[in-house]
Amino acid sequence: MSAFITLFAFALFSFAIRNISLLKVLSLIALGACAYFSLHNYHVELNGFALSSAMALFEVVLFIVLGAFVLNETETVNITQTLFIGTASVALLESNTLINFIISFEALSIISFVLVANIKNAQQAEGAVKMFIAGSIATALIVFGTAFYLFEGHSLNKTIQSVGMFGAIGLWVMLMGLFYKLTIVPMHTWAADSYSQIKASHAALLSGVAKTVAALATFKIFAPFLLQNLDFSMPILITFSLITMTLGNFLALFQKKVSKILAYSSIAHAGYMLLAFVAVKSGYASTGLLYIAIAYIFMQSSLFMLIGNLHDNSSYITLENLKGLGKKDKITSLIFSIQLFSLAGVPLLAGFISKAVLVYAVVDVNLPIVALITLLNSALSVAYYAWIIKHIYFDDVSLNYNLKELEFTPLLAQVILLGGTLYFGVFAYTVFAV
Amino acid sequence: MSYEYLIFAPLVLALFIYIPTRNLGGTKHVALALFLYMFSKTIELYQSLPAHGYKLLGEFLDVKAFDFALTLQVDRLSVIMLLLTSVLLILVTLSSWSLEKKPAAYFSLLIFFSGAIFGVFMSTNLLWFFIFWELTLIPMLFLVGIWGAEGRIYAAIKFFLYTHVASMLILLAFFMMYKQSGTFDMSLIKESMLSTPILIWWLLFIGFAVKIPLFPFHTWLPDAHVQAPAPVSALLAGVLLKMGAYGMIRLVLLLLPEASQRYAWVLVTLGLLTLLFAGFMALYETHIKKMVAYSSISHMGLIAIAMGALSFDSLSAALYEMIGHALIISPLFLIAGFLHHKLNSWEMEDMGGIMQKAPYLSAIFVLAGLGALGLPGTMGFIGEISILISSIESFGSWMVVILIGSLISAAYLIWTFRRVIYGEISTKVEQTDFSMNRVEFLALVIFSILIIYFGLFPQTLFSEINQAFDSFFNIGGLS
Repeated sequence: MSAFITLFAFALFSFAIRNISLLKVLSLIALGACAYFSLHNYHVELNGFALSSAMALFEVVLFIVLGAFVLNETETVNITQTLFIGTASVALLESNTLINFIISFEALSIISFVLVANIKNAQQAEGAVKMFIAGSIATALIVFGTAFYLFEGHSLNKTIQSVGMFGAIGLWVMLMGLFYKLTIVPMHTWAADSYSQIKASHAALLSGVAKTVAALATFKIFAPFLLQNLDFSMPILITFSLITMTLGNFLALFQKKVSKILAYSSIAHAGYMLLAFVAVKSGYASTGLLYIAIAYIFMQSSLFMLIGNLHDNSSYITLENLKGLGKKDKITSLIFSIQLFSLAGVPLLAGFISKAVLVYAVVDVNLPIVALITLLNSALSVAYYAWIIKHIYFDDVSLNYNLKELEFTPLLAQVILLGGTLYFGVFAYTVFAV
Repeated sequence: MSYEYLIFAPLVLALFIYIPTRNLGGTKHVALALFLYMFSKTIELYQSLPAHGYKLLGEFLDVKAFDFALTLQVDRLSVIMLLLTSVLLILVTLSSWSLEKKPAAYFSLLIFFSGAIFGVFMSTNLLWFFIFWELTLIPMLFLVGIWGAEGRIYAAIKFFLYTHVASMLILLAFFMMYKQSGTFDMSLIKESMLSTPILIWWLLFIGFAVKIPLFPFHTWLPDAHVQAPAPVSALLAGVLLKMGAYGMIRLVLLLLPEASQRYAWVLVTLGLLTLLFAGFMALYETHIKKMVAYSSISHMGLIAIAMGALSFDSLSAALYEMIGHALIISPLFLIAGFLHHKLNSWEMEDMGGIMQKAPYLSAIFVLAGLGALGLPGTMGFIGEISILISSIESFGSWMVVILIGSLISAAYLIWTFRRVIYGEISTKVEQTDFSMNRVEFLALVIFSILIIYFGLFPQTLFSEINQAFDSFFNIGGLS
């Protein structure tokens, strides 16, 4: 918990720093120190928390991405909130017992609510309220499920034990609550609106960081339970996964706002991530989930941040507005396109190999039809990613063009995120080594 | 000596060459120099090949847990494809010499494409093969989408999506092979017993049939061919379609010989349908580039028939025809594109009597056209006759139906000569200056020389091609 303690302490201290440049520098130093601790496994023992090598790798990635967020921010309050998100994320990733998992998960949710409460206009307010209501329902379900679990006499201060009927019902209800956070269909409806209405950099944190952290932690805690109940869990999870990815991809096809396309793409990716839960008995499932989490955190954070950089109100950015961006702003267009190609699963980018490992995990548990539907979904998603690229490069410059160009520190943030997408696209052994 | 840079240097160079040359110019010179270098290295590689089997060039980025290693190995078959690719890249660069629209980006994309396509032919790890296979789509998407004709955007996205969907089937087949054999290395998979070879065969077959393309999976190609700029059409026909044929030979026929023998009739039937359907479509066309595009598809049908015959002779004939098709169809596309550029029309009725205004250009068009219809003395004749003979050997005399395809191609090509080259000079042609950039003309001349040379001396090519298949038939697999 060295990284947790360091980041938490610095996040509290950051309230006192009002100079944004100083805060940025100190935050980067703190995040660098946290990454160093995770990388070298400097671990302060704390009951119910443990750091595996896979989580350590993800934490390093998380701190790099949070560093990019810090560079991209223009308000001190957002940097502080980013650090708190990081703190809760580390706690969640290292949680080893059900109680720590639930508390860390709720902490992450509450910080997310505070984050989106930084409202500048009516649309952002609407997005924040939707997210708050969905979050409340998720919490209610988690608490309700916990009650069932406890009813059977289990302790929360342990990993999930072998359960009977009530325990299983409790854990499934808890999973449904967690699926709200992971935007699994039909618990996804809030996400499409919220991600596209709240401030783009906040959407980046929520869909890029919070979601991947939640997915990894949920897998870590619930995998033993799913393994015990494969006959029951597999068909349910296959259904959830396929419906989520298919609906997400289909709905993305019909959107005009870029943030909404990314929101639905995010929902589709939740469906891909759920494949790891489906293929839990394959040794490749955890690697695949870790890989897609790493890839996704780079890609999604970069894209939402770019939208935020192009215009203060991310809802402004429609496909129409992106017309001819390739001619006006070559660097933004290039980064935007590479990250989109990565989301689409184009090779030599992190999005491809991460999805490939996950799909192989599904083949590994003898579900070739599920793998085929996933691959066809991935191909379907190319349609809307290519459509965005078509507007950027193939169309003439939009008449109402008034998008901002990237400044130095946001550009630096983008270069870091792009570096991650490229690095993990080629050097797969980094992920397989853990 | 390390060869991985033949793949990665162009991929990296493409990203970095664009910025300095965007304003200064000179990207085309860099591209040409690079492609000439790649050609020379390929020759060097060819000379160092063992008599049989693969030459290991190196193994990189190894992920043992997933058998995900960039294993670079080449044999005679892959080096022949590399030679064809590098020659075409050089000629396509020369053919684009006078390009005015965003030359830096255009040639950067060509450079990027060269790295990816070399990766396809050099890697024997299926996952890396797939990575490079897919990577070739990105430059092609932009080359068609930015430099293409009026309907370029539709064509580019259709091409990208269509081929990407097909690739998903290929990827699934690769995963199933890995699951059943424990390796992604194509040279090792052959030794292992696959539990579902038929399913894998079908997945791979459909995936590669789209790329070749075979009827009824061909619908993406006419659009892409017509809308792409002429040199890119030549690249599509000469390299990209050959990737499909290479995949079909290497990964379907040679890797899954039993399943291939069982379903060879599917390949032959679709090949015949492609030959006849595309031939009739070409006959019907008045749009010159569409006519060439359908002619190209029709000839790919011929190659499919040869592949389906599954004998040593037929595979050699298929590979010879692949090379012949690349060299014959490219100048037809280039000249069709040039005529459109000059006349601002694709319609053949606007093109009558070009021979009177541009005799050399017309001569090359007629030569390539005669090659396509299989005139003795050109590569087309040798390719078609060897496919006909080997198919009759495998399937019996009913394979003379191939001649119907040849008759149809003779009909539409001779009719095209009548409408475009000869005949009464049209007003548009009368008023147009057909002077051509010398470098671009040089590319056409080189194409013509190659068509005649390998037509007159086919043994120079066949001796190499036969060696390429020797090991497959001697060591095992096909009989």
